Amino acid sequence: MSVFDTLVGQDTVVQRLRAAVRAADNLLSGGDGTGMTHAWLFTGPPGAGRAQAARAFAAALQCTHGGCGECASCHQVLAGTHPDVLYVRPSGLSFGVEQTRELVVRAASSPTGGRFRVVLFEDADRATEAASNALLKAIEEPAPRTVWLLCTPTAHDLLVTIRSRCRLVNLRTPSTEAIIDALVTRDGIDRDRAVAAARAAAGHLERARQLATDETARARREEVLTIPARLDSLGACVHAAARLYEIAEADAKESTAALDEQEKADLKAAFGEGATGKGVAKAVRGAAGALKELEERQKRRATRIKRDAYDTFLMDLVAFYRDVLAIQLGASVELSTADRDADLRRVARSSTPEATLRRIDAIMECRRRINANVHPQIAMEAMTAALYLG
Amino acid sequence: MKFRVDRDAFADAVTWTARALPARPAVPVLAGMRLEVADTASDTLRLSGFDYEVSAQASVDVHAEEAGSVLVPGRLLAEIVRTLPPHPVEFHVEGSRALLTCGNARFTLLTLPLEDYPTLPAMPRTIGSAPADVFATAVRQVLPSTSRDDTLPMLTGVHLTFRGDTILLAATDRYRIAVREMWWKPEEVDIDTSALVPARTLGDFSRSLTGGNVDIALSTSDSRGAGEGMIGFEHDGKRTTTRLIDSDFVSYESRFPTEFAAQADVPVAPLAEAVKRVALVADRSTPVRLSFTSSEVVLEAGSGDDAQALEALEVNFEGEPMRIAFNPQYFLDGLTNVETERAFLRFVAPTRPAVITGTPAKEGGKPDFRYLVMPLRLA
Repeated sequence: MSVFDTLVGQDTVVQRLRAAVRAADNLLSGGDGTGMTHAWLFTGPPGAGRAQAARAFAAALQCTHGGCGECASCHQVLAGTHPDVLYVRPSGLSFGVEQTRELVVRAASSPTGGRFRVVLFEDADRATEAASNALLKAIEEPAPRTVWLLCTPTAHDLLVTIRSRCRLVNLRTPSTEAIIDALVTRDGIDRDRAVAAARAAAGHLERARQLATDETARARREEVLTIPARLDSLGACVHAAARLYEIAEADAKESTAALDEQEKADLKAAFGEGATGKGVAKAVRGAAGALKELEERQKRRATRIKRDAYDTFLMDLVAFYRDVLAIQLGASVELSTADRDADLRRVARSSTPEATLRRIDAIMECRRRINANVHPQIAMEAMTAALYLG
Repeated sequence: MKFRVDRDAFADAVTWTARALPARPAVPVLAGMRLEVADTASDTLRLSGFDYEVSAQASVDVHAEEAGSVLVPGRLLAEIVRTLPPHPVEFHVEGSRALLTCGNARFTLLTLPLEDYPTLPAMPRTIGSAPADVFATAVRQVLPSTSRDDTLPMLTGVHLTFRGDTILLAATDRYRIAVREMWWKPEEVDIDTSALVPARTLGDFSRSLTGGNVDIALSTSDSRGAGEGMIGFEHDGKRTTTRLIDSDFVSYESRFPTEFAAQADVPVAPLAEAVKRVALVADRSTPVRLSFTSSEVVLEAGSGDDAQALEALEVNFEGEPMRIAFNPQYFLDGLTNVETERAFLRFVAPTRPAVITGTPAKEGGKPDFRYLVMPLRLA
């Protein structure tokens, strides 16, 4: 058992991180710690497990047994409560300079447990330019025991000055085989379903797990994939866009609600909800302030989850057109939407590879527009129209 | 886990520990209080709270029947013990519930996940001990001079210098500096180190001090090893640790003028009361003006069309007549924290800092408490 077990198909990365953990131990016991450094940048495509990798590394750095995954320290890091690991998860769309300054101050304090002060910054690409500059200062002149772990999709999402001060850890897209294996052995999903889910998710582990376990998620994906075949008039385009928007909204709402409820319940329990006896109600009311703060955080996060949901379904569409292109060009690659074979072939026959590429570009343009705050439904209408016209 | 405990002792320990619990916990488990009976032989219950910066740990003697540990909602427990009737308290844990019985009152608390609870920092090495009441007074004297503005972390702390058998406590918010010197008993006589302690934690801890001694434990970043940059205080079975503020403190000693143009010997209580009366007509930012002549000081506040106040008081004054103005609260924070009946006010010029001190115990000796305050410019 080890904290690195959660990483799927990342053997080389795990080897490097383990070596770094050994070097860190050497540093703590007074050696020169060659192989360990104060800033790490975890990159990789969505679903490869950047944050998981960073978290496992953090646990291994704090653990006296190199990340056994069983001791109290490992558990606390993985549960997100370790005193010396600072978690930064931008809940909004961006991370501002004020927050960063505060973070820099807290990051500079020395570790209470005597090992490392680890800052785990997920989605560091959401830091604004001013925030990145504030961050740069801290990474340039690190406190002796502070270790920064930054996660971004690609190395180019960060200022070049920050990037040049970090050691890069590039995670690869896990192979379909690795994902199938993980789903079967770890989540106990039967093999056929795991195969289908892993193919459909095209290297995105979490998405694969969701597709394998969640009936509604599967149904939604199915419906989105019928869109290309249904675009036979402008009216159908508008209708398809409206439906796509609806599906994404419903999906976002569900995941938000589930998360929100869980967090609220945890917080209320911490303040004593569920207890009985005289005077209990009064104490539980003390949670009101903390609850309100949590709700504000959740509201900010909701916008972000919505964007992620649009993205998920738009990427499903991209996967479809990619497969169309593969058929048109006669490439022998694994098709992630193989179950819609008839549609794929029909679309492939009725258009040219150039048109398919234009269509993929239209979807990418739609993602860009949504990120620039165009109303999603309008952006999707423009997209479906472009898909129809080819 | 199961134990029986005296109501008052339990209430005291719980209330004290609950003060370290964060009002807005970063993660829900931090709102919990950990109760632990290590073994039934020692009959000790240990309570702890932690918010990543400050940890608090109290012990209380109990009659333990079963060892174990549990995490319960801390504020709720504090609220409950506050209202308990005067009977022994029984506490025991059954599965995910903790049951508390006291007389006819019964409470059921849902426990929180103990394994998620962060490990408390270890207490650093003890470097000496100080008389608790003197230490509490010293903290109270310098505390008003700390800044509440978080943008400059250095000013939100109290600077402790441990040098030989004295501790120097100092605080400043840019407009005044308070310095208190006190005796203590260090573990090593040639100790010379310092620490910048968050004022709020120090204030909270010192308020709970009663009699006896307080042990001070410190690990600074130069003493490599576990628990760097941390200070701990232990008194009467209660211990607090806090992270130090990682910043250099101003070198305050050189700010105190050494040559003075005038000196007043004033009675503390009458002057403080007079300032308070006169200041009634001054709002926060307007000054109280003090005019010293050889035998008296005239206090004035307010001017022009506003309300005005004036009061004269007899003092011993040596030197050039002096007209100087102060923010009334800043002036009072210095004057009222002087422990002696009379105080010395020393002046250089109306635009230069003034120094308030107590009268030293023996003639020509150094005063324990020194307070430097910047005057306001006279209109």
